[in-house]
Amino acid sequence: MTMTAYSMKRILGESYPVLILCAILSLSAGLILHSQLESIKTLPLILVMVPPINGINNNVCSILGSRLTSALHIGTIEPKFGKQAILRKNIQATWIMSLGVFIFTSVIFFALSLISGINLLKSLTIMIAFFLASMAAIGVTMFCTIWLAFTSFSKGLDPDNVVIPIVTSIGDIAGVTCLIIAMKIIGV
Amino acid sequence: MPQSVNVRAIVIQGLSVLILCAIIEILTGNVMEGMQERITVTLPGLILVIPPLLDLRGNVNGALASRLGTALHTGIVEPKLSMTDELKINVVSSLILSLAASATIGVIASLIGLLFGMSIINFVALIIISVAAGFISGIILTALTVVISIFAYIRGWDPDNITAPLMATIGDLITMISIFIVVLFV
Repeated sequence: MTMTAYSMKRILGESYPVLILCAILSLSAGLILHSQLESIKTLPLILVMVPPINGINNNVCSILGSRLTSALHIGTIEPKFGKQAILRKNIQATWIMSLGVFIFTSVIFFALSLISGINLLKSLTIMIAFFLASMAAIGVTMFCTIWLAFTSFSKGLDPDNVVIPIVTSIGDIAGVTCLIIAMKIIGV
Repeated sequence: MPQSVNVRAIVIQGLSVLILCAIIEILTGNVMEGMQERITVTLPGLILVIPPLLDLRGNVNGALASRLGTALHTGIVEPKLSMTDELKINVVSSLILSLAASATIGVIASLIGLLFGMSIINFVALIIISVAAGFISGIILTALTVVISIFAYIRGWDPDNITAPLMATIGDLITMISIFIVVLFV
């Protein structure tokens, strides 16, 4: 065995600070939820909604993030906003995917509300609120993903190590915030 | 990769994985709802650590999967289940990161909790829950990441579009179950 390609010190040294920054960002998502414990008692279904809205939002934007960073490395996308066919197509694909997966998820929440004994009208409202919250969260997180990919690339940071972890933490905050706002609007 | 971007292909490939992920995430949500009593009444600080712990798992294993993906493609790690030095360094680093970051999350959350007037019992419980849940899910998921990365490489799955989202989602479920189990004992 010759020299190993990985150094534990390097992996730990590079990752730990980013992980802690992300943890602090995600903790604020926890803090937002903590401030809404009363609403959660009224509608425990909110708890069921937290992992899907955060998880799917993060997955969708991570896929976009890694596609963008690959494209930036190859040079098919330039690190600036504005008219670029390939950037536009990536954004378009991301929206279509989000629409598809969140319509599916919203319908499941409609069914779950009905099963848990909530009446038809209220279940419909919950479904629409979840759907709108997820679309708003995707919009915010997508914008941050593109901006972070461009900025980290321009500054010479490795987008793979920076973009995805920070995007998922911002996604947590966006997901939880949009969910809570939507639930407040429908009056839970 | 994306020389010419085929929106249809991305959507079809991405959507099938995402629907599967959505189902797993809803299961995760149900596990979280199972802790409702503790979250809202007995352990109000618990909800603070849930988003960061889920996120941490995704980040640590996502980075591990992405390093392994590169290592497999460049031939540094061979696609079989034997503990080489390269694999060992990656696995051990991930476990150390899991443990250190989980402990840090527990401590920061407790400090925030103290600011919000939580009791001392909660303070200790929160750190224990973070570290224990982080450690249990860390071991399970690191092993799973290695196996899935190698399997995905052999099957020729795209790490960006398939392996990473799948790992993040399975990670959420296993972490939530670990938190649930630990909470039962605290």
